[in-house]
Amino acid sequence: MKRVFHRMSAGLMGALLLAGVTPALADDAFSPAQLEVMAGGCANCHGTDGRLSGNVPAIAGRPAELLASRLLAFKHESVPDTTIMDRIARGFTDEELTALAQHFADIYPK
Amino acid sequence: MSQQHNHSGLTRRQLMKALGAASLLPLAGGVGSFAIGGQHAGRVVVVGGGFGGATAAKYLKRANPAIEVTLVEPAETFYTCPFSNLYLGGLRGLDKIAHGYDELRDRYGVRVVHAMAEDVDAEAHRVTLSSGESLDYDRLVLSPGIDIRWNALEGYDEAAARKAPHAWKAGPQTELLRGQLEAMEDGGTVVMVAPENPFRCPPGPYERASLIAHYLSQHKPRSKVLILDAKDNFSKQGLFTAGWERLYGDRIEWVGLSNDGRVTRVDADRLEVETEFGTRHQADVLNVIPPQKAGWIADRAGVTDDSGWVPVKPETFESQRVEDIYVVGDASVAAPMPKSGFCANAQAKVVAAAIAASLESRPAPDAYWSNTCYSLIGPEYGISVAGVYRIQDGHIAEVEGAGGLSPADAPDSTRALEAQYAVGWYNAICQDTWGTTPGTA
Repeated sequence: MKRVFHRMSAGLMGALLLAGVTPALADDAFSPAQLEVMAGGCANCHGTDGRLSGNVPAIAGRPAELLASRLLAFKHESVPDTTIMDRIARGFTDEELTALAQHFADIYPK
Repeated sequence: MSQQHNHSGLTRRQLMKALGAASLLPLAGGVGSFAIGGQHAGRVVVVGGGFGGATAAKYLKRANPAIEVTLVEPAETFYTCPFSNLYLGGLRGLDKIAHGYDELRDRYGVRVVHAMAEDVDAEAHRVTLSSGESLDYDRLVLSPGIDIRWNALEGYDEAAARKAPHAWKAGPQTELLRGQLEAMEDGGTVVMVAPENPFRCPPGPYERASLIAHYLSQHKPRSKVLILDAKDNFSKQGLFTAGWERLYGDRIEWVGLSNDGRVTRVDADRLEVETEFGTRHQADVLNVIPPQKAGWIADRAGVTDDSGWVPVKPETFESQRVEDIYVVGDASVAAPMPKSGFCANAQAKVVAAAIAASLESRPAPDAYWSNTCYSLIGPEYGISVAGVYRIQDGHIAEVEGAGGLSPADAPDSTRALEAQYAVGWYNAICQDTWGTTPGTA
Protein backbone atom coordinates (compact mmCIF):
# COMPACT_ATOMS: atom_id res chain seq x y z
CA MET A 1 0.00 0.00 0.00
CA LYS A 2 2.78 2.40 0.80
CA ARG A 3 4.07 2.13 -2.72
CA VAL A 4 0.64 2.50 -4.27
CA PHE A 5 -0.04 5.41 -1.99
CA HIS A 6 3.08 7.18 -3.23
CA ARG A 7 1.86 6.89 -6.77
CA MET A 8 -1.60 8.28 -6.21
CA SER A 9 -2.13 11.55 -7.96
CA ALA A 10 -2.08 14.61 -5.80
CA GLY A 11 -5.66 15.22 -6.89
CA LEU A 12 -6.83 11.88 -5.65
CA MET A 13 -4.92 12.31 -2.40
CA GLY A 14 -6.55 15.69 -1.91
CA ALA A 15 -9.95 14.27 -2.68
CA LEU A 16 -9.42 11.47 -0.20
CA LEU A 17 -8.32 13.87 2.51
CA LEU A 18 -11.16 16.27 1.84
CA ALA A 19 -13.62 13.44 2.01
CA GLY A 20 -12.10 12.46 5.33
CA VAL A 21 -11.39 9.01 3.99
CA THR A 22 -8.61 6.96 5.44
CA PRO A 23 -7.30 4.66 2.74
CA ALA A 24 -9.03 1.37 3.29
CA LEU A 25 -5.85 -0.63 2.89
CA ALA A 26 -3.58 1.16 5.30
CA ASP A 27 -3.42 -1.80 7.67
CA ASP A 28 -1.74 -3.97 5.07
CA ALA A 29 1.58 -3.55 3.37
CA PHE A 30 0.16 -4.50 -0.04
CA SER A 31 -3.17 -3.82 -1.75
CA PRO A 32 -5.31 -6.77 -2.94
CA ALA A 33 -4.46 -5.91 -6.55
CA GLN A 34 -0.78 -5.84 -5.66
CA LEU A 35 -1.02 -9.19 -3.89
CA GLU A 36 -2.78 -10.72 -6.89
CA VAL A 37 0.15 -9.69 -9.07
CA MET A 38 2.74 -10.85 -6.53
CA ALA A 39 1.00 -14.20 -6.19
CA GLY A 40 0.55 -14.59 -9.94
CA GLY A 41 3.65 -16.69 -10.46
CA CYS A 42 2.71 -19.16 -7.69
CA ALA A 43 -0.30 -20.37 -9.75
CA ASN A 44 1.95 -21.65 -12.51
CA CYS A 45 2.90 -24.62 -10.34
CA HIS A 46 0.28 -24.56 -7.57
CA GLY A 47 -2.77 -23.83 -9.75
CA THR A 48 -5.05 -20.80 -9.77
CA ASP A 49 -5.21 -19.38 -6.24
CA GLY A 50 -2.82 -22.13 -5.13
CA ARG A 51 -5.68 -24.63 -5.02
CA LEU A 52 -4.37 -27.43 -7.24
CA SER A 53 -3.08 -30.46 -5.39
CA GLY A 54 -0.90 -33.04 -7.04
CA ASN A 55 2.79 -33.81 -6.79
CA VAL A 56 3.14 -30.07 -6.27
CA PRO A 57 1.13 -29.37 -3.11
CA ALA A 58 -1.86 -27.04 -2.86
CA ILE A 59 -1.10 -23.95 -0.76
CA ALA A 60 -4.56 -22.36 -0.48
CA GLY A 61 -6.06 -22.31 2.98
CA ARG A 62 -2.99 -23.57 4.82
CA PRO A 63 -2.05 -21.76 8.02
CA ALA A 64 -0.24 -18.50 7.37
CA GLU A 65 2.42 -19.27 9.99
CA LEU A 66 3.21 -22.59 8.34
CA LEU A 67 3.41 -21.09 4.84
CA ALA A 68 5.52 -18.18 6.05
CA SER A 69 7.95 -20.39 7.91
CA ARG A 70 8.32 -22.66 4.87
CA LEU A 71 8.87 -19.76 2.50
CA LEU A 72 11.38 -18.08 4.80
CA ALA A 73 13.18 -21.40 5.27
CA PHE A 74 13.38 -21.92 1.50
CA LYS A 75 14.91 -18.48 1.23
CA HIS A 76 17.33 -18.47 4.15
CA GLU A 77 18.10 -22.09 4.97
CA SER A 78 18.95 -25.27 3.17
CA VAL A 79 15.76 -27.35 3.11
CA PRO A 80 16.40 -31.00 2.16
CA ASP A 81 15.00 -32.18 -1.19
CA THR A 82 14.27 -28.66 -2.37
CA THR A 83 14.48 -28.37 -6.15
CA ILE A 84 13.03 -25.02 -7.13
CA MET A 85 11.44 -23.16 -4.21
CA ASP A 86 14.77 -21.94 -2.85
CA ARG A 87 15.53 -20.34 -6.20
CA ILE A 88 12.10 -18.69 -6.31
CA ALA A 89 11.90 -17.59 -2.65
CA ARG A 90 15.22 -15.74 -2.89
CA GLY A 91 13.54 -13.38 -5.37
CA PHE A 92 11.25 -11.92 -2.69
CA THR A 93 11.78 -9.88 0.45
CA ASP A 94 10.83 -11.40 3.81
CA GLU A 95 7.94 -8.93 3.96
CA GLU A 96 6.68 -10.07 0.57
CA LEU A 97 6.94 -13.75 1.49
CA THR A 98 5.03 -13.16 4.73
CA ALA A 99 2.33 -11.25 2.85
CA LEU A 100 2.07 -14.05 0.28
CA ALA A 101 1.71 -16.59 3.10
CA GLN A 102 -1.21 -14.61 4.52
CA HIS A 103 -2.70 -14.19 1.03
CA PHE A 104 -2.82 -17.94 0.39
CA ALA A 105 -3.90 -18.71 3.94
CA ASP A 106 -6.94 -16.47 3.36
CA ILE A 107 -8.05 -18.40 0.27
CA TYR A 108 -10.59 -21.17 0.74
CA PRO A 109 -8.92 -24.39 -0.43
CA LYS A 110 -11.62 -25.61 -2.83
CA MET B 1 -17.53 -16.93 11.76
CA SER B 2 -15.63 -18.47 8.92
CA GLN B 3 -14.57 -16.29 6.07
CA GLN B 4 -16.73 -16.27 3.00
CA HIS B 5 -15.22 -16.68 -0.42
CA ASN B 6 -16.37 -16.04 -3.93
CA HIS B 7 -15.09 -18.21 -6.75
CA SER B 8 -12.15 -15.93 -7.51
CA GLY B 9 -10.67 -16.95 -4.21
CA LEU B 10 -10.66 -13.48 -2.72
CA THR B 11 -11.73 -13.39 0.86
CA ARG B 12 -14.72 -11.30 1.85
CA ARG B 13 -12.32 -8.98 3.61
CA GLN B 14 -10.25 -8.46 0.47
CA LEU B 15 -13.37 -7.99 -1.64
CA MET B 16 -14.77 -5.37 0.69
CA LYS B 17 -11.49 -3.53 0.53
CA ALA B 18 -11.37 -3.71 -3.23
CA LEU B 19 -14.93 -2.47 -3.49
CA GLY B 20 -14.21 0.27 -0.99
CA ALA B 21 -11.30 1.46 -3.07
CA ALA B 22 -13.28 1.32 -6.29
CA SER B 23 -16.15 3.34 -4.86
CA LEU B 24 -13.78 6.26 -4.29
CA LEU B 25 -12.80 6.40 -7.92
CA PRO B 26 -15.34 8.88 -9.23
CA LEU B 27 -13.64 11.44 -6.97
CA ALA B 28 -10.50 11.13 -9.06
CA GLY B 29 -12.23 12.23 -12.24
CA GLY B 30 -11.29 11.03 -15.70
CA VAL B 31 -12.61 7.54 -15.25
CA GLY B 32 -12.11 6.85 -18.91
CA SER B 33 -14.26 4.20 -20.44
CA PHE B 34 -16.59 3.43 -17.58
CA ALA B 35 -19.94 3.01 -19.28
CA ILE B 36 -22.68 5.38 -18.29
CA GLY B 37 -25.33 3.22 -16.69
CA GLY B 38 -22.72 0.71 -15.64
CA GLN B 39 -23.13 -1.99 -18.30
CA HIS B 40 -19.42 -2.62 -18.46
CA ALA B 41 -16.18 -1.26 -17.11
CA GLY B 42 -14.42 -1.15 -20.47
CA ARG B 43 -14.02 -3.38 -23.50
CA VAL B 44 -10.89 -5.46 -23.88
CA VAL B 45 -10.16 -7.58 -26.93
CA VAL B 46 -7.53 -10.29 -26.53
CA VAL B 47 -6.01 -11.76 -29.68
CA GLY B 48 -4.49 -15.24 -29.29
CA GLY B 49 -5.61 -18.07 -27.04
CA GLY B 50 -2.27 -19.47 -25.93
CA PHE B 51 -0.57 -19.12 -22.54
CA GLY B 52 -0.50 -15.32 -22.79
CA GLY B 53 -3.91 -14.59 -24.30
CA ALA B 54 -6.03 -17.10 -22.38
CA THR B 55 -4.39 -16.04 -19.11
CA ALA B 56 -4.94 -12.35 -19.87
CA ALA B 57 -8.63 -12.97 -20.56
CA LYS B 58 -9.12 -14.95 -17.35
CA TYR B 59 -7.22 -12.57 -15.11
CA LEU B 60 -8.95 -9.50 -16.56
CA LYS B 61 -12.25 -11.06 -15.51
CA ARG B 62 -10.82 -11.94 -12.11
CA ALA B 63 -9.62 -8.37 -11.65
CA ASN B 64 -13.00 -6.95 -12.59
CA PRO B 65 -15.90 -9.09 -13.87
CA ALA B 66 -17.53 -5.96 -15.28
CA ILE B 67 -14.85 -5.64 -17.94
CA GLU B 68 -16.19 -6.94 -21.25
CA VAL B 69 -13.55 -9.39 -22.49
CA THR B 70 -13.53 -10.93 -25.96
CA LEU B 71 -10.93 -13.56 -26.83
CA VAL B 72 -10.17 -14.07 -30.51
CA GLU B 73 -8.55 -17.41 -31.35
CA PRO B 74 -9.05 -19.37 -34.58
CA ALA B 75 -8.58 -22.83 -33.06
CA GLU B 76 -11.20 -24.48 -30.86
CA THR B 77 -8.49 -26.79 -29.54
CA PHE B 78 -5.12 -25.36 -28.60
CA TYR B 79 -2.06 -27.62 -28.57
CA THR B 80 0.75 -26.47 -26.33
CA CYS B 81 4.36 -26.36 -27.42
CA PRO B 82 5.39 -27.22 -23.86
CA PHE B 83 5.18 -31.00 -23.56
CA SER B 84 4.87 -31.45 -27.35
CA ASN B 85 8.37 -32.94 -27.09
CA LEU B 86 6.93 -35.64 -24.82
CA TYR B 87 4.48 -36.48 -27.57
CA LEU B 88 7.36 -36.62 -30.07
CA GLY B 89 9.21 -38.97 -27.71
CA GLY B 90 6.19 -41.26 -27.43
CA LEU B 91 5.62 -40.38 -23.77
CA ARG B 92 2.22 -38.66 -24.09
CA GLY B 93 -0.76 -38.60 -26.44
CA LEU B 94 -1.55 -35.52 -28.49
CA ASP B 95 -4.86 -35.25 -26.61
CA LYS B 96 -2.85 -34.68 -23.41
CA ILE B 97 -1.42 -31.42 -24.73
CA ALA B 98 -4.82 -30.23 -26.03
CA HIS B 99 -6.83 -27.50 -24.32
CA GLY B 100 -10.08 -25.67 -24.93
CA TYR B 101 -11.93 -22.54 -23.91
CA ASP B 102 -14.89 -23.85 -21.87
CA GLU B 103 -13.70 -22.45 -18.57
CA LEU B 104 -13.10 -18.98 -19.98
CA ARG B 105 -16.52 -18.96 -21.59
CA ASP B 106 -18.65 -20.71 -18.98
CA ARG B 107 -17.02 -19.79 -15.70
CA TYR B 108 -15.46 -16.41 -16.36
CA GLY B 109 -17.89 -14.99 -18.92
CA VAL B 110 -15.31 -14.31 -21.59
CA ARG B 111 -16.76 -14.07 -25.09
CA VAL B 112 -14.68 -16.50 -27.15
CA VAL B 113 -14.70 -15.93 -30.91
CA HIS B 114 -13.12 -18.60 -33.10
CA ALA B 115 -11.90 -16.46 -35.95
CA MET B 116 -8.65 -14.98 -37.17
CA ALA B 117 -7.83 -11.38 -36.28
CA GLU B 118 -6.97 -9.92 -39.66
CA ASP B 119 -6.40 -6.26 -39.06
CA VAL B 120 -6.07 -3.66 -36.33
CA ASP B 121 -7.08 -0.03 -36.77
CA ALA B 122 -5.25 1.45 -33.81
CA GLU B 123 -6.69 4.91 -34.32
CA ALA B 124 -10.29 3.73 -34.40
CA HIS B 125 -9.52 1.11 -31.70
CA ARG B 126 -11.00 -1.64 -33.85
CA VAL B 127 -10.02 -5.22 -34.74
CA THR B 128 -11.33 -6.83 -37.92
CA LEU B 129 -11.87 -10.58 -37.96
CA SER B 130 -11.83 -13.18 -40.74
CA SER B 131 -15.52 -13.73 -40.05
CA GLY B 132 -16.23 -10.17 -41.19
CA GLU B 133 -17.06 -9.07 -37.67
CA SER B 134 -15.24 -6.10 -36.21
CA LEU B 135 -14.64 -5.51 -32.54
CA ASP B 136 -14.21 -2.14 -30.86
CA TYR B 137 -11.87 -2.00 -27.92
CA ASP B 138 -10.73 0.33 -25.17
CA ARG B 139 -7.64 -1.81 -24.63
CA LEU B 140 -6.23 -4.47 -26.92
CA VAL B 141 -4.05 -7.37 -25.80
CA LEU B 142 -2.03 -9.11 -28.49
CA SER B 143 -0.62 -12.51 -27.67
CA PRO B 144 0.08 -13.74 -31.18
CA GLY B 145 3.05 -15.96 -30.44
CA ILE B 146 5.51 -16.46 -33.24
CA ASP B 147 5.44 -16.63 -36.98
CA ILE B 148 8.09 -18.38 -39.05
CA ARG B 149 10.32 -16.12 -41.14
CA TRP B 150 9.88 -18.12 -44.32
CA ASN B 151 12.90 -18.08 -46.63
CA ALA B 152 15.09 -16.33 -44.04
CA LEU B 153 16.87 -19.67 -44.18
CA GLU B 154 17.41 -20.39 -47.89
CA GLY B 155 15.09 -23.11 -49.15
CA TYR B 156 12.89 -23.17 -46.09
CA ASP B 157 9.39 -22.08 -47.08
CA GLU B 158 5.91 -23.38 -46.35
CA ALA B 159 6.23 -26.16 -48.93
CA ALA B 160 9.54 -27.24 -47.39
CA ALA B 161 7.91 -27.38 -43.95
CA ARG B 162 5.56 -30.09 -45.23
CA LYS B 163 8.60 -32.32 -45.83
CA ALA B 164 10.96 -31.04 -43.17
CA PRO B 165 8.62 -29.95 -40.36
CA HIS B 166 9.51 -27.22 -37.90
CA ALA B 167 6.96 -28.45 -35.36
CA TRP B 168 7.58 -25.17 -33.53
CA LYS B 169 3.86 -24.46 -33.40
CA ALA B 170 2.20 -27.51 -31.92
CA GLY B 171 -0.47 -29.39 -33.86
CA PRO B 172 -0.34 -30.84 -37.39
CA GLN B 173 3.37 -30.04 -37.70
CA THR B 174 4.09 -31.99 -34.52
CA GLU B 175 2.05 -34.94 -35.77
CA LEU B 176 3.91 -34.86 -39.07
CA LEU B 177 7.27 -35.02 -37.32
CA ARG B 178 6.12 -37.83 -35.02
CA GLY B 179 4.91 -39.83 -38.03
CA GLN B 180 8.27 -39.41 -39.72
CA LEU B 181 10.12 -40.58 -36.62
CA GLU B 182 7.90 -43.64 -36.41
CA ALA B 183 8.38 -44.41 -40.10
CA MET B 184 12.16 -43.99 -40.03
CA GLU B 185 14.18 -47.19 -40.37
CA ASP B 186 16.56 -48.20 -37.62
CA GLY B 187 20.03 -46.82 -38.29
CA GLY B 188 18.69 -43.48 -39.52
CA THR B 189 19.84 -40.01 -38.58
CA VAL B 190 17.48 -37.35 -37.30
CA VAL B 191 18.97 -33.96 -38.18
CA MET B 192 17.76 -30.97 -36.16
CA VAL B 193 18.52 -27.40 -37.21
CA ALA B 194 18.57 -24.94 -34.29
CA PRO B 195 18.31 -21.15 -34.78
CA GLU B 196 20.13 -18.11 -33.45
CA ASN B 197 18.69 -16.20 -30.51
CA PRO B 198 16.06 -14.99 -29.92
CA PHE B 199 13.51 -17.68 -30.54
CA ARG B 200 10.58 -19.39 -28.81
CA CYS B 201 11.55 -21.70 -25.94
CA PRO B 202 15.36 -21.48 -25.70
CA PRO B 203 15.83 -24.98 -24.18
CA GLY B 204 13.19 -26.51 -26.50
CA PRO B 205 15.44 -27.85 -29.27
CA TYR B 206 17.65 -29.63 -26.76
CA GLU B 207 14.75 -31.17 -24.86
CA ARG B 208 13.41 -32.30 -28.22
CA ALA B 209 16.73 -33.91 -29.15
CA SER B 210 16.72 -35.65 -25.74
CA LEU B 211 13.24 -37.12 -26.03
CA ILE B 212 13.73 -38.15 -29.66
CA ALA B 213 16.90 -39.91 -28.48
CA HIS B 214 14.85 -41.57 -25.76
CA TYR B 215 12.39 -42.85 -28.36
CA LEU B 216 15.20 -44.04 -30.62
CA SER B 217 16.94 -45.81 -27.75
CA GLN B 218 13.75 -47.78 -27.11
CA HIS B 219 12.69 -48.52 -30.69
CA LYS B 220 15.52 -47.82 -33.14
CA PRO B 221 18.72 -48.40 -31.20
CA ARG B 222 21.12 -47.92 -34.11
CA SER B 223 19.77 -44.43 -34.89
CA LYS B 224 21.10 -41.05 -33.81
CA VAL B 225 20.32 -37.35 -33.50
CA LEU B 226 22.54 -34.65 -34.99
CA ILE B 227 21.90 -31.05 -33.90
CA LEU B 228 23.31 -28.37 -36.17
CA ASP B 229 23.27 -25.12 -34.24
CA ALA B 230 23.62 -21.49 -35.34
CA LYS B 231 25.05 -20.60 -31.91
CA ASP B 232 27.88 -21.67 -29.65
CA ASN B 233 25.95 -21.66 -26.41
CA PHE B 234 22.47 -22.72 -25.49
CA SER B 235 20.13 -22.78 -22.53
CA LYS B 236 21.07 -25.22 -19.70
CA GLN B 237 23.93 -26.43 -21.91
CA GLY B 238 26.02 -28.03 -19.16
CA LEU B 239 23.03 -29.86 -17.72
CA PHE B 240 21.91 -31.10 -21.12
CA THR B 241 25.38 -32.24 -22.11
CA ALA B 242 25.84 -34.14 -18.83
CA GLY B 243 22.37 -35.69 -19.12
CA TRP B 244 22.97 -36.75 -22.71
CA GLU B 245 26.19 -38.46 -21.72
CA ARG B 246 24.51 -40.14 -18.78
CA LEU B 247 21.43 -41.42 -20.66
CA TYR B 248 22.32 -41.60 -24.32
CA GLY B 249 26.10 -41.91 -24.72
CA ASP B 250 27.00 -40.66 -28.18
CA ARG B 251 23.48 -41.00 -29.61
CA ILE B 252 23.15 -37.18 -29.59
CA GLU B 253 25.78 -35.15 -31.41
CA TRP B 254 25.73 -31.37 -31.14
CA VAL B 255 27.67 -29.18 -33.58
CA GLY B 256 27.83 -25.49 -32.66
CA LEU B 257 28.53 -22.38 -34.73
CA SER B 258 32.31 -22.52 -34.29
CA ASN B 259 32.42 -26.06 -35.65
CA ASP B 260 30.45 -25.16 -38.77
CA GLY B 261 27.07 -25.90 -37.23
CA ARG B 262 25.20 -22.98 -38.80
CA VAL B 263 22.90 -24.21 -41.57
CA THR B 264 22.56 -21.77 -44.47
CA ARG B 265 20.53 -23.78 -46.98
CA VAL B 266 17.82 -26.41 -46.73
CA ASP B 267 16.86 -28.86 -49.48
CA ALA B 268 13.67 -30.36 -48.12
CA ASP B 269 13.10 -32.61 -51.17
CA ARG B 270 16.43 -34.36 -50.60
CA LEU B 271 16.35 -33.99 -46.80
CA GLU B 272 19.73 -32.35 -47.05
CA VAL B 273 21.14 -29.26 -45.36
CA GLU B 274 24.27 -27.26 -46.08
CA THR B 275 26.27 -25.31 -43.50
CA GLU B 276 28.14 -22.02 -43.69
CA PHE B 277 31.38 -23.63 -44.85
CA GLY B 278 29.76 -25.97 -47.35
CA THR B 279 29.42 -29.18 -45.35
CA ARG B 280 26.38 -31.16 -46.44
CA HIS B 281 24.43 -33.35 -44.06
CA GLN B 282 21.98 -35.99 -45.19
CA ALA B 283 19.01 -36.65 -42.93
CA ASP B 284 16.48 -39.42 -42.69
CA VAL B 285 14.21 -37.15 -40.72
CA LEU B 286 14.83 -33.40 -40.93
CA ASN B 287 13.48 -31.02 -38.28
CA VAL B 288 14.22 -27.39 -39.08
CA ILE B 289 13.60 -24.91 -36.29
CA PRO B 290 13.80 -21.75 -38.37
CA PRO B 291 14.24 -18.03 -37.59
CA GLN B 292 11.10 -16.47 -36.10
CA LYS B 293 9.32 -13.17 -35.52
CA ALA B 294 6.24 -11.91 -33.72
CA GLY B 295 2.92 -13.26 -35.01
CA TRP B 296 1.88 -11.24 -38.04
CA ILE B 297 -1.10 -9.43 -36.49
CA ALA B 298 1.52 -7.49 -34.51
CA ASP B 299 2.77 -6.11 -37.84
CA ARG B 300 -0.76 -5.16 -38.84
CA ALA B 301 -1.15 -3.32 -35.55
CA GLY B 302 2.08 -1.42 -36.16
CA VAL B 303 3.74 -2.47 -32.94
CA THR B 304 6.77 -4.41 -34.25
CA ASP B 305 10.20 -2.86 -34.82
CA ASP B 306 12.88 -3.74 -37.39
CA SER B 307 13.78 -6.89 -35.46
CA GLY B 308 10.32 -8.32 -36.14
CA TRP B 309 9.53 -8.39 -32.41
CA VAL B 310 7.51 -5.97 -30.28
CA PRO B 311 9.18 -3.43 -27.97
CA VAL B 312 7.04 -2.84 -24.87
CA LYS B 313 7.04 -0.57 -21.84
CA PRO B 314 8.57 -2.81 -19.19
CA GLU B 315 6.20 -1.87 -16.35
CA THR B 316 2.97 -2.72 -18.19
CA PHE B 317 3.85 -4.40 -21.51
CA GLU B 318 1.95 -1.67 -23.35
CA SER B 319 3.43 -1.18 -26.81
CA GLN B 320 6.11 1.50 -27.03
CA ARG B 321 4.69 2.51 -30.39
CA VAL B 322 0.91 2.37 -30.17
CA GLU B 323 -1.23 3.44 -27.25
CA ASP B 324 -3.74 1.06 -25.65
CA ILE B 325 -2.20 -2.03 -27.25
CA TYR B 326 -0.49 -4.45 -24.86
CA VAL B 327 1.66 -7.30 -26.13
CA VAL B 328 2.55 -10.39 -24.12
CA GLY B 329 4.37 -13.65 -24.65
CA ASP B 330 6.83 -14.71 -27.30
CA ALA B 331 6.03 -11.73 -29.56
CA SER B 332 7.30 -9.18 -27.04
CA VAL B 333 10.85 -8.08 -26.33
CA ALA B 334 11.09 -8.90 -22.63
CA ALA B 335 14.70 -10.00 -22.17
CA PRO B 336 16.06 -11.13 -19.75
CA MET B 337 12.75 -13.00 -19.53
CA PRO B 338 12.85 -15.89 -22.00
CA LYS B 339 10.19 -16.61 -24.60
CA SER B 340 8.43 -19.28 -22.55
CA GLY B 341 4.84 -20.26 -21.83
CA PHE B 342 5.46 -19.55 -18.16
CA CYS B 343 6.60 -16.01 -18.93
CA ALA B 344 3.67 -15.42 -21.27
CA ASN B 345 1.32 -16.44 -18.46
CA ALA B 346 3.20 -14.28 -15.94
CA GLN B 347 3.26 -11.26 -18.25
CA ALA B 348 -0.45 -11.66 -18.97
CA LYS B 349 -1.29 -11.38 -15.27
CA VAL B 350 0.68 -8.15 -14.95
CA VAL B 351 -1.02 -6.81 -18.09
CA ALA B 352 -4.47 -7.80 -16.81
CA ALA B 353 -3.81 -5.93 -13.56
CA ALA B 354 -2.42 -2.92 -15.44
CA ILE B 355 -5.41 -2.73 -17.79
CA ALA B 356 -7.94 -3.19 -14.99
CA ALA B 357 -6.21 -0.36 -13.14
CA SER B 358 -6.02 1.93 -16.16
CA LEU B 359 -9.73 1.46 -16.92
CA GLU B 360 -10.38 2.76 -13.42
CA SER B 361 -7.73 5.49 -13.71
CA ARG B 362 -5.80 3.84 -10.92
CA PRO B 363 -2.03 3.34 -11.00
CA ALA B 364 -0.98 -0.16 -12.02
CA PRO B 365 0.32 -2.43 -9.27
CA ASP B 366 4.08 -2.97 -9.29
CA ALA B 367 5.09 -5.71 -11.69
CA TYR B 368 6.34 -9.07 -10.41
CA TRP B 369 7.26 -11.84 -12.78
CA SER B 370 8.80 -15.24 -12.40
CA ASN B 371 9.73 -18.08 -14.69
CA THR B 372 10.49 -21.75 -14.32
CA CYS B 373 11.39 -23.77 -17.39
CA TYR B 374 11.57 -27.50 -16.90
CA SER B 375 13.19 -29.69 -19.52
CA LEU B 376 13.02 -33.45 -19.61
CA ILE B 377 16.16 -35.21 -20.76
CA GLY B 378 14.48 -38.56 -20.11
CA PRO B 379 11.13 -39.59 -18.59
CA GLU B 380 12.72 -39.63 -15.13
CA TYR B 381 15.42 -37.05 -15.66
CA GLY B 382 14.33 -33.42 -15.33
CA ILE B 383 16.29 -30.18 -15.13
CA SER B 384 15.14 -26.60 -14.69
CA VAL B 385 16.06 -22.97 -14.89
CA ALA B 386 14.22 -20.34 -12.88
CA GLY B 387 14.19 -16.57 -12.64
CA VAL B 388 12.43 -13.84 -10.69
CA TYR B 389 12.11 -10.48 -12.40
CA ARG B 390 11.37 -6.93 -11.30
CA ILE B 391 11.73 -3.47 -12.75
CA GLN B 392 15.12 -1.92 -11.98
CA ASP B 393 16.08 1.49 -13.37
CA GLY B 394 13.27 1.29 -15.88
CA HIS B 395 14.26 -2.10 -17.25
CA ILE B 396 13.23 -5.68 -16.61
CA ALA B 397 15.97 -7.23 -14.51
CA GLU B 398 16.56 -10.57 -12.83
CA VAL B 399 16.49 -10.30 -9.07
CA GLU B 400 20.03 -10.97 -8.01
CA GLY B 401 20.62 -14.07 -5.93
CA ALA B 402 17.37 -15.68 -7.07
CA GLY B 403 16.70 -18.12 -9.87
CA GLY B 404 19.34 -20.08 -11.70
CA LEU B 405 19.85 -23.65 -12.82
CA SER B 406 19.38 -27.04 -11.22
CA PRO B 407 22.64 -28.01 -9.52
CA ALA B 408 25.22 -29.60 -11.83
CA ASP B 409 26.13 -32.32 -9.35
CA ALA B 410 22.67 -33.43 -8.22
CA PRO B 411 21.94 -37.13 -7.60
CA ASP B 412 19.54 -39.09 -9.82
CA SER B 413 16.85 -38.71 -7.16
CA THR B 414 16.85 -34.93 -7.71
CA ARG B 415 16.56 -35.38 -11.48
CA ALA B 416 13.66 -37.78 -10.91
CA LEU B 417 11.96 -35.31 -8.57
CA GLU B 418 12.32 -32.52 -11.13
CA ALA B 419 10.84 -34.79 -13.81
CA GLN B 420 7.79 -35.28 -11.57
CA TYR B 421 7.56 -31.57 -10.83
CA ALA B 422 7.74 -30.87 -14.56
CA VAL B 423 4.48 -32.79 -14.94
CA GLY B 424 3.05 -31.00 -11.91
CA TRP B 425 4.04 -27.69 -13.45
CA TYR B 426 2.40 -28.56 -16.77
CA ASN B 427 -0.85 -29.57 -15.08
CA ALA B 428 -0.89 -26.41 -12.98
CA ILE B 429 -0.08 -23.89 -15.68
CA CYS B 430 -2.66 -25.46 -18.01
CA GLN B 431 -5.24 -25.38 -15.22
CA ASP B 432 -4.35 -21.75 -14.57
CA THR B 433 -4.52 -20.83 -18.25
CA TRP B 434 -7.40 -22.92 -19.68
CA GLY B 435 -8.87 -24.67 -16.64
CA THR B 436 -7.86 -28.11 -17.84
CA THR B 437 -5.45 -30.56 -16.23
CA PRO B 438 -4.48 -33.28 -18.66
CA GLY B 439 -3.02 -35.74 -16.13
CA THR B 440 0.14 -37.69 -16.55
CA ALA B 441 0.12 -39.58 -19.87
